[in-house]
Amino acid sequence: MPVDGTGITRFSRWERYVVDKKLIELIDKAMSRRSFMARSGAAAAVAVVAGCGGSSTPAPTPAPTPTPTPAPVVLGDSDYLNFALNLEYLEAEFYLRAATGSGLSATDTGNATTTVTVPSTTMIPGLTTAQQNYLFEIAQNELDHVRFLRSALASDAVTRPDIDLMNSFNAAASAAGIGSSFNPFGSYEAFLVGAFVFEDVGVTAYHGAAGLLSNTATGKTYLAAAASILAVEAYHAAEIRTLLIADSVATATKTSTLVTPNPTYVTYANQISKLRATLGGGAETALTALPPYAIPFVSTAYMPASSIVACDPTNSIAYARSTDEVLHIVYAAPPGAGVKGGGFFPNGMTGNISVTAS
Amino acid sequence: MANLETQQVDEVIVNSRRKMLALGGAALAGIAFAGVKLAEGQSAPAYTDADILNFALNLEYLEAQFYSLATSGTTIDNLGSGIGPGTNKFDGAAVITKPGGPSACVVPWTLPAIQAYATETASEERHHVNFLRANLGSAAVAQPTLDLYNSFNTLAGVAGIASTFDPFANDLDFLVGAYIFEDVGVTAYSGAAPLITTPAYLAAAAGILGVEAYHAGLIRTSIFIADPDGKAGLQGYTQQISATRMKLDGSSTVDDIGVGFQTVSVEPANTTNGAATIVDAQTGSPNYSKTYSRSTTQVLQIVTGSVNIPAAGAKYMGVFFPNGLNGLFS
Repeated sequence: MPVDGTGITRFSRWERYVVDKKLIELIDKAMSRRSFMARSGAAAAVAVVAGCGGSSTPAPTPAPTPTPTPAPVVLGDSDYLNFALNLEYLEAEFYLRAATGSGLSATDTGNATTTVTVPSTTMIPGLTTAQQNYLFEIAQNELDHVRFLRSALASDAVTRPDIDLMNSFNAAASAAGIGSSFNPFGSYEAFLVGAFVFEDVGVTAYHGAAGLLSNTATGKTYLAAAASILAVEAYHAAEIRTLLIADSVATATKTSTLVTPNPTYVTYANQISKLRATLGGGAETALTALPPYAIPFVSTAYMPASSIVACDPTNSIAYARSTDEVLHIVYAAPPGAGVKGGGFFPNGMTGNISVTAS
Repeated sequence: MANLETQQVDEVIVNSRRKMLALGGAALAGIAFAGVKLAEGQSAPAYTDADILNFALNLEYLEAQFYSLATSGTTIDNLGSGIGPGTNKFDGAAVITKPGGPSACVVPWTLPAIQAYATETASEERHHVNFLRANLGSAAVAQPTLDLYNSFNTLAGVAGIASTFDPFANDLDFLVGAYIFEDVGVTAYSGAAPLITTPAYLAAAAGILGVEAYHAGLIRTSIFIADPDGKAGLQGYTQQISATRMKLDGSSTVDDIGVGFQTVSVEPANTTNGAATIVDAQTGSPNYSKTYSRSTTQVLQIVTGSVNIPAAGAKYMGVFFPNGLNGLFS
């Protein structure tokens, strides 16, 4: 298993993805085009079973009748878009609250009656104008994505689920070894780490979902939109990663001959990255902290490469994640079937892709 | 533009492969984006996935050479990447560099973070060249003649930045030079991806699109960090370059946005705030923060600096590709 210099396992996501795609093609040929179930289709099947499951007492029946077999839910384009919509709800709530202290308006949630659990104060204190400019742009982008997906899905759009942006971060920080609590709304640097939690995942989720959309006119339209949103998420991811490195320089320790970048928040981000890899099937590239450098700076003696881009190290192709792998990350749940919620979505996502299949 | 593309698609349907070649990617993109549906049996395209991958390969040669020269002072064939036709590692065309040759192209870095970014990007662009060549095998096109010297002078003049421009002069000029490529790469992959039929290639194209968007985000964020209030002039340069790209590709709407500021309205409703433009996408209705696509023809117009459709069988030529691109989409 290849391990890079940071000690983080780097899987060949590309190879796994190709294999998965080939399998899907084979299944597709064996079954009709409309009835094949992609990897995450199994998740929906579990959802159906869980939904019809034994927690409720069946009504007494006078005679034994065959247990009706639930028709498997055939996942379609709208299910994948709704899956993405859940992630956009999460990101929009995070960035909007960080920027303004207020979350999505009722209209933008589908008039959901659900709650968003956050600390009492979420507007990030003490930001410079430039930092505010970054924050407001991303908040607007994520709000736009919610509105776009809700508009594209129309009456099929799911409402916003319960979202937790407080206990989830504390638990993640604990699991990642950062500390027993973590408030991403506490400072600019904490916000960057909080944003880091989401951004690369968005890229991998859209990349994975893009390949699952149908080969129909509607599917193609959605594919173009998904590719465009994938790109925006990658811009964001690069922005956050670049700002983390820039901040490590801005807060560096300096002597007359040496600059030592502050590794604190880059390290936190990498601990998060490692946790995501554990939960979500690898697919991570750790940030490379800028090493100390002499001043005056001698560029010929300094040739390290950064790792702003999260991609496979051989072909430099961005990672993809299955819906199942994404669920495990946002539910903060280790691999295993039947997880219905947790982490950022304490009561699960809304829609047909909400329970882990493996 | 949609109407023009619709007309072109109609012509494509009734005409020959030769006509398709003459109209190039604009017509093909019309199929994907103008909402034109071809009837069953008429949909067999006159291009293959290999043609699309080869188009991308031309662009990756250009990017890989630019970043490799800036960081290593040598061309990619000396760094393990093939540039020849098919599986031939050698026999690609030349790269025109500034006087002094490749070694003179190493940027005299003063900002270690920017040097580290450039080194990373160079490696990733070489990987893209290697990946595309490996998948194309004997079908891979050779590197065409690339110009990384006169091209920048020409573009800087057209954009109104200066009569000469050396992207290898220093860290900040390097960022401006990189800016010229990166968003174009995003829009090119975005436009080409829906034309691909093989699922594995489509997934790869989406993955490379993602990496190009990471690069674009990296470059644009670095420019904003270096010039957060626009007073250093870098923001202005990017806006001039974006305007030039739009002029070249014939965009009828403002889709290419330089690094700078915008006003957004988030929550509570009706309050406005200043925001950056790190992402090259229009916010709000009707675009809703989605990046845009360029047809292969629009990309050709930008990288060759030529807005006129060449005669049938002739290529777009100029600026970065003085002898045109290699392959069907040229």
